[in-house]
Amino acid sequence: MALKLARLGKQKKIPDSLPFWLLLPTVLILFIVQIYPTVYTAWLSLQERKPTGWIYVGTKNFERLFRSSLFNESVGHTIVFLVSFIALTMLLGFLTALLLNQKIRFVGFYLSLIFIPWVISTIISGQAFRLLVTPDYGVFAGILQDPALFPPNGISVLTDARPSPWFGSFPFPPSKGMILLVIASTWRSLPFTALLILASLQMIPTEIIESSRIDGANGWQIIRFILVPIILPTLVVTIFNLILTGMNGVAIIISLTGGGPGTSTQIISYLLYSLGWGQIQFSQAAALGLIIAVVNWILILATLRLTKVEEAR
Amino acid sequence: MNTKSKLTTLLSFLLVLGLLAACAPAPAPTQAPAEKPAATQPPAEKPAATQPPTEAPAEVKDVVTWFQYDAENMDEKANEAVGNAYLRATMPLFNKAFAGKLNWVNQPKAFDKMEAELINLAQGGGDVPDIYELFNSVNNFERNGTLQDLSEWAKAQPWYKDLDSSALQACTGTDGKLYCIPLAQRPQVVFVWTGRFPNGYPTTIDDFLAQAEALKKEGHYAITFFGSTDKGGSGAYRGLNTMITSFGGRYDDGKGNMLLNTPENLAAIRFIREIVAKGYAPDTVFAGGFEEEASYMDSSAGSFPTGLHSWKFQNNMTAPDGKKYDTGTFEDPLNAFKDGELVLAHFPAAPGKTPGCGTLPEALAIPVGAKNTQGAYDFINWIMSPEQYPAFVTNVGGGLPTLKTALTDPTFADDVIIQQAAKVVSESACRPWFGSLARPSEAQPLIMNALYKAIKEVGDDQIEGVLTQAQEEYNAGN
Repeated sequence: MALKLARLGKQKKIPDSLPFWLLLPTVLILFIVQIYPTVYTAWLSLQERKPTGWIYVGTKNFERLFRSSLFNESVGHTIVFLVSFIALTMLLGFLTALLLNQKIRFVGFYLSLIFIPWVISTIISGQAFRLLVTPDYGVFAGILQDPALFPPNGISVLTDARPSPWFGSFPFPPSKGMILLVIASTWRSLPFTALLILASLQMIPTEIIESSRIDGANGWQIIRFILVPIILPTLVVTIFNLILTGMNGVAIIISLTGGGPGTSTQIISYLLYSLGWGQIQFSQAAALGLIIAVVNWILILATLRLTKVEEAR
Repeated sequence: MNTKSKLTTLLSFLLVLGLLAACAPAPAPTQAPAEKPAATQPPAEKPAATQPPTEAPAEVKDVVTWFQYDAENMDEKANEAVGNAYLRATMPLFNKAFAGKLNWVNQPKAFDKMEAELINLAQGGGDVPDIYELFNSVNNFERNGTLQDLSEWAKAQPWYKDLDSSALQACTGTDGKLYCIPLAQRPQVVFVWTGRFPNGYPTTIDDFLAQAEALKKEGHYAITFFGSTDKGGSGAYRGLNTMITSFGGRYDDGKGNMLLNTPENLAAIRFIREIVAKGYAPDTVFAGGFEEEASYMDSSAGSFPTGLHSWKFQNNMTAPDGKKYDTGTFEDPLNAFKDGELVLAHFPAAPGKTPGCGTLPEALAIPVGAKNTQGAYDFINWIMSPEQYPAFVTNVGGGLPTLKTALTDPTFADDVIIQQAAKVVSESACRPWFGSLARPSEAQPLIMNALYKAIKEVGDDQIEGVLTQAQEEYNAGN
């Protein structure tokens, strides 16, 4: 057996490098937990369930999905949510990191405080934000629903009708529910984002900043031309993380808005959840899952491309 | 790389594989191949290898059930406390009655996930339970081939002829097969605080609007209901359906097509819009997450159309006269009923119409692939026995008994809620909300999203367009 293996090795039918064999178990496990589910999802997206079993229906599930009014609406909600969530989180995360990067007292304490939202479960975060704005019974209900403060009828975040869209049927401006969702999601993702950026900022030698100051650079110029280019790789990783969190996160929507008011916070991942667990349409859910995966890849590749262009400049 | 190195590498690899295999979960000793559905099929035998040589000849088999209740949850203030306590008390009785033969094992499941989980498991050949608590349409299960046909077996049982025909209908698929055994009916009724309606709950729409206006002047709401799109659009079968059907409306054409754009539905929607616009209902109606219940619990809203079984989940209530029912348990609504603070009523009907009422079954079903079908039959027969049936209907069903003769049982004859509910149902036209729709889980969010838009988001001239769009979208899949 050993001789046979040795012979095979000599004939290059099996690789003879140690790293190959060491990596093989990992590759096998990845195949089981990633490749197989992907292939199964692709297969499922082309089937339809009948009492007698699965039948092949080609692209029918995709067609039904594209014809569904909720799918088109959800795409709009997803764009609004993703852009707002990523922009707000990156901006606040960067500012927080800049603040924490200053030589101030109790930085460790502030860091511990700021990390609290990250360690709280998503469902609890959503519930907490919901309790703040629940009509009539919420913590801020008295303030928000006061017509004197917010004429003419006060604000009811979870029930106010969405504003008329400015651009055809594209859901912008967003509903108050969507704004709350963006705020709650940002609140939760901010600590990790800030920490990643802070770690990166702390790697920058202070000499660079000081010499740029001597050369006459102002604060904005230091950020724009020194800090951002240096920490760009970290920013890209952070954006990847936020894209995936925003695209695939559904727990906070379930606990915060339940997709409402109406359908105004139903982003595409919520639709996926609803199709699979609510409507028990596993095939359509699989089709949507594949679409989401492709969109994730496109967004990540686009971000990579943009940052390469930025690096080249 | 010499031969020795290769051998070492190979051995290391095999060792890793061995470790991985050791970490993998061992196959369950009771696992058996999935069975095909057949009412007369004998239960699957456990693999011989799992039987120790010294085991007694009479093997104790598990009857695995899926209920939304958890016998091990001792929290008296939990939402499901009534059902939890029932299981805790009843499981030992079953195990005693079937000592040496059957052992009841319950796996608690989330009420809003268990349907999808069962269908998914059944399709994938996973471990399904022997008994499944069913409280919605059987149509999804029928479409997915998930449940066994119980028609022949049920007809041979002594209790079959006593079952209410409409309850049996709720367990019957579009193919005419019986997929579950209905134990209770859960009609949609109106919970009314008598203190808010001292002259009785209105029986006409005009009277309702007049009384609602009077209550508004006193700073109260006439009604609260689940009007949100949350919870998978379940608002489509709750209070909204009660109001719509009280105008003679419905969601289907009786032939499997969705039909929303009808004069009756339009009239009902305009009535609900009026309630909302004039502030006769609180904002929480549309907030989701069952927030609408709060204004019923503190009696700031005078009435609450919802499922009869919801009394089990009501607690910490304040009556209009300020009396507190705050044990935090299901005793609160029971005491409020006993004191006459709460009563059940039907919704006021539009002129010439009968009050509407949705109804769903509380039933037991046997999934395809159940390992102990015979045990499941024994389980259902035991629950249907006169000694066990009333307790199940009251504590798990939370509704009306489906056995026609059971209403005279002292348990029900002395139950103020059951007696009032029976009267409400007899005065209403009750039917399952989905009618002839074969894909209720798909229809539910479509209907609810359309109703929400029609009530809250569009002008009067756009209501018909919204309803038509929803029905066309559903019917395209027929």
